[in-house]
Amino acid sequence: MEVYKTLAEIPQDELFTGGHGGCRGCGAALAVRQAMKALGPRTIINIPASCMATIGGSGLTTAWMVPFYHSLFECAPAVASGIRAALDIQGIKDVNVVSWAGDAGTADIGFQALTGAAERQENIIHVCYDNETYMNTGGQAGSVTPYQAVTPDTPTGKPTPRKDMLAIMAAHRPAYLATASVAYPLDLIQKFQKAKAIQGFRYIHILAPCFRGWGIREDQTVQLARMAVECGLWQLYEEVDGRRRVTVIPERRIPVREYLKLQGRFKNIDEATVAALQAEADRRFREVQS
Amino acid sequence: MRLLLNGNEAAAHAARLARVEVLASYPITPAAPVMEKITQFIAEGTMRCNFVRVESDHSAMAAALGATMAGARSFLITNSQGLAYMSEVLYHTSGLRQPVVMAVVNRALAAPHSRFPEHGDVVAQETSGWIQIFCENNQEVLDSIIQAFRLGEDEQVRLPVMVNYEGYIQSHTRETVDMPEQEKIDAFLPLVRRPVLDVDNPLAVNTVTGPELYMDYKYHQDAALQRAGTLLGEISEAYGAVTGRNWGGAVTGYRLEDAEVVLVTMGSLVSTARIAVDALRAAGEKAGLLKIRLFRPFPAEAVREMLKPARAVVALDKNIVYGAGGALGRELRAALYGFTNVPVYSYILGLGGRDVGVEDLTAIYRQVNEGLAAGKFPALYQWYGL
Ligand code: SF4
Repeated sequence: MEVYKTLAEIPQDELFTGGHGGCRGCGAALAVRQAMKALGPRTIINIPASCMATIGGSGLTTAWMVPFYHSLFECAPAVASGIRAALDIQGIKDVNVVSWAGDAGTADIGFQALTGAAERQENIIHVCYDNETYMNTGGQAGSVTPYQAVTPDTPTGKPTPRKDMLAIMAAHRPAYLATASVAYPLDLIQKFQKAKAIQGFRYIHILAPCFRGWGIREDQTVQLARMAVECGLWQLYEEVDGRRRVTVIPERRIPVREYLKLQGRFKNIDEATVAALQAEADRRFREVQS
Repeated sequence: MRLLLNGNEAAAHAARLARVEVLASYPITPAAPVMEKITQFIAEGTMRCNFVRVESDHSAMAAALGATMAGARSFLITNSQGLAYMSEVLYHTSGLRQPVVMAVVNRALAAPHSRFPEHGDVVAQETSGWIQIFCENNQEVLDSIIQAFRLGEDEQVRLPVMVNYEGYIQSHTRETVDMPEQEKIDAFLPLVRRPVLDVDNPLAVNTVTGPELYMDYKYHQDAALQRAGTLLGEISEAYGAVTGRNWGGAVTGYRLEDAEVVLVTMGSLVSTARIAVDALRAAGEKAGLLKIRLFRPFPAEAVREMLKPARAVVALDKNIVYGAGGALGRELRAALYGFTNVPVYSYILGLGGRDVGVEDLTAIYRQVNEGLAAGKFPALYQWYGL
């Protein structure tokens, strides 16, 4: 399978264009823009309630150059399943069907439809763009919000650890599973190219920071997305038929503390928590890299 | 070809004859056998259809909607809790003007838990923007599902349709059903694809809509729903020309010419009421029957016209809108208000599967006659058979 080897090879055409309504430095908008380079124009996308569902279209204008449906919160993977069934019966084989959800539409309210579609091994791609919070309504904590992160509804820090969605999705034995980060566009785009070439249920989970939710500056999105990888809390890998391959080994490792201290949401974090998150990062790093 | 079919089998055959291409369904009692029958048709190769084995009714509606938006003819079945659970997707389907057809095998909504029939589930969706057709027997189930596709897919309408029949009373009871030839149905219901999600013609669907546009969309949606009311008559006639069976349009009358007291109802109770009217007529009473086939859009004008000679109207409702009465009673009052002073007697009966027989309807008729003779205003609504 052909994959782009350098950023220079990536198509110039934009399928998620300028003029969208996202904040400056929005990690989610970056993720979509990058992914669409690989998915191409023969893609149907549906996005449940989330920032991404609203910033790409308003009134009679849209930033999308592919068919886009702003679907309902709980059911993007089910909508995608129906679209695929309809294309199949019409003999349309070369169209990517994508459900693209935030962390709520994936791990929380949208989880039922997701696990259903994954179990059925629907021939769709589900993408989770993960900003670790519910930004569309102001940033409340969800199940993948990290331990001790301060959000509007966890003002003293989230009391429970982040749910391991990747382990949960891996347990569904998808045809393809990958993590990605907006700080590594070539890696992200290659993963979408690979996912596109595979049949069956495909799951891609992208870390896409949100400056507002994270308490960082708008121009720090990519920096923080990279630091998450460098500290080991987010790792870049893919799994085909359950076999894991690490795709990016960070050039330098940084302590978790450095990643946390730049973010307003961790301003209250204590040393014990930092140590616990460091241990978690180390454990996960060993587990994934092994 | 005449077969002995229960309502669920009739619905499955209708989907097959309509050449449904995508079925999305989640099992719910007593509607699940429709799904089983269709998957059996698919397995034996008598139906070319993709079955999406969803994990919930919410997803069933979502998948059927997605499939229709991508250009396939889609169908699903549900009722009761499942219908309530898919409620928000129902609004998407009608708001996006997607002609999904759904069989609703009416069943009570908990609590307390009941597996038995009434119309409460579908009445709760009266504002969902779906066309709602009610069937009095299994033949009408088969015929109405086929007609529903033509109605919903019509360029002037483009709306989803619920075809209602009652759990057990119809779903699990066999009747002789005439099966039209496939070629006739193919001619009556050609497949015209209008995909909304099409890579060759990309559109953004359901974008955020502000106050300057939202209300206009709603106006058009309502106007389309109103058109469905008129169109059902034409479609039924066309269907009648093909199969010999014309169920009439939105509303049909029975022995109405000189009727003084008119029973008005929908669903399986129509058959019972017809027999009751015959019995009352045999006893010298001037009884008549108005069958509401289309509950949404409510055929107010036709109802008004047909009830003109009546001295009293009796709404028989297998549903309760808590604190407001029966849905049909309420609709009838709204339709007649300002046009006539004829009293509307509204009865709530048969909830959760409680039996309603011919003798109950004749008893109600006599109660109404007494009320009329006494010249009292009827109550807003009353319960019968407690
Ligand atoms: S709030 Fe966050 S996720 Fe939403 S548009 Fe702004 S930057 Fe993007």
